[in-house]
Amino acid sequence: MIARLLIRIIALAAMAYLVLPLVVIMGASLTQTSYLAFPPQGLTLKWFGVLFDDPSYVSAFITSTLLALAATAVAVLLAVPASLALARYVFAGRAGVSSLLMSPLVLPYVVLGAALLQFGNDFGLARSFEALLVGHVVIVMPFVLRSVLPLLTPEQRALEEASMDLGGTPVATFFLVVLPQIRGGIVSGALLAFISSWINVELSIFNTTSALNTIPVKMFNYVQYTIDPTIAAVSAITIVAAALVIILLDLLIGLDMLSERQQP
Amino acid sequence: MAASRTTLALLLFAPLAFFAAFFLAPMAVVALTSLTTDDGGLTFAHYARILFDQYHWDVLWVTFRIALATTALCLLIGFPLAWYLVRIVRWRSWRRACVILIVVPLFTSNIVRSFGWMVLLGRTGLVNQGLMGMGMTERPIRFLGTETGILIGMVYILMPFVVLSVGNALAKIDTALEDASADLGVGPARTFWFVTLPLCLPGAVSGAIMVFALAVSAYVTPALLSGGQITVFSMLIFQQYSSVFDFHYGGALSVTLLVLTLVLVTLAGRIGERGRRAA
Repeated sequence: MIARLLIRIIALAAMAYLVLPLVVIMGASLTQTSYLAFPPQGLTLKWFGVLFDDPSYVSAFITSTLLALAATAVAVLLAVPASLALARYVFAGRAGVSSLLMSPLVLPYVVLGAALLQFGNDFGLARSFEALLVGHVVIVMPFVLRSVLPLLTPEQRALEEASMDLGGTPVATFFLVVLPQIRGGIVSGALLAFISSWINVELSIFNTTSALNTIPVKMFNYVQYTIDPTIAAVSAITIVAAALVIILLDLLIGLDMLSERQQP
Repeated sequence: MAASRTTLALLLFAPLAFFAAFFLAPMAVVALTSLTTDDGGLTFAHYARILFDQYHWDVLWVTFRIALATTALCLLIGFPLAWYLVRIVRWRSWRRACVILIVVPLFTSNIVRSFGWMVLLGRTGLVNQGLMGMGMTERPIRFLGTETGILIGMVYILMPFVVLSVGNALAKIDTALEDASADLGVGPARTFWFVTLPLCLPGAVSGAIMVFALAVSAYVTPALLSGGQITVFSMLIFQQYSSVFDFHYGGALSVTLLVLTLVLVTLAGRIGERGRRAA
């Protein structure tokens, strides 16, 4: 019983530890003072206004959004055929292909970012939107693969074969049979991909410039020199956006993965 | 069969070409540069520089020390939290809310999360106010620019991985095994030690690997919380590519970090595999 109580206390303290910084940032973004204060002194939304009046923030928001959207779209277009190949075919080097495509998950992003900068330099690609894009595609693709692959089961395959037996062309079968079955995986994978791209610093930082900047990199460079309520306001926006995406994911695929005795 | 080979080739062509061009080729360029001099001759001098320089060993040691402590603390705090969520919480909605609260930080950038700690851990931050209010310290404790500060931020950022992987493993354990152990007259502590723990070990190990690998290569959190006082390995790489512009030496550092990470991940993966087979 004492052990149980102790676990309870540690767990609740851990939850507080996880939530505290986010609450502090959101609170501090509402302060009326021109320095960061928590608890906030007075309530105002003016820091959000300051943000939207600053063209460099607006353009960073646009760059980040376009980058995350494009990277996700390309990653989905590459990951869906790759997962079909990995799930449907037995071929020499299959394990190798699979680890290659998954490896960005464990790779230090700093290394890949540096590599893309240097590689880009040789081809005149460095510090461009394209250089950012290809890097982001590489790091977000594993998320899509990982959520689509488990859906390509033998049962799913049987339906695919039935469609072909009934005279469906491969293209029609893909769009009418396979795609609807893996749509859930594509959507949740794409959401994860979008977020991972949207929050990345380590990879982007090498290929951004003051004119071509993403939100997290801009924040990173800013926070090292100044801390003020505007930065809390940007942070608060990203926290709210993240929370919305997660609630969406929860409704879509159900995040209650910790329920006891769930199906493995 | 020929038709299916063609389909396979069609399916794999674009993803593999993309990865070859924008993942393998850049990495190869880095590896190659790390082995050459400015005029293209082969050299191991850049690696020798890392190997024989005391400064690098110091930085590596700091990096590993922080990563090890981070992993240990993540397990120490993450395990009870996972246990609580899977075994103790009865109210589904509360568990669901907790899971969402654990995942939200994962979806928020390292900057935002580290920034939160910069505010909390400052001289007049909430943590120091709290400690002084409770009379635990007379003067504000300096957290920013110390390893403790970095550690607080790193554990915070990486703990969700442990909670999720241990929690998943715990949720999959068939509690009938524990009941059987109890029926055979084994006490709860021994049942936990000999039945439950081995069963969730693979989950804990895979979570720990993930945390350790991410901690070794972490850049943003240490950069923000160190306030320039402490250097970790990824900062060395960043310096070479952003201010020193020595791609040869930067390349050697990158390859070192990459190899270290891969070795660790493979090693720990083997351990996890063995645990899974034993269980």
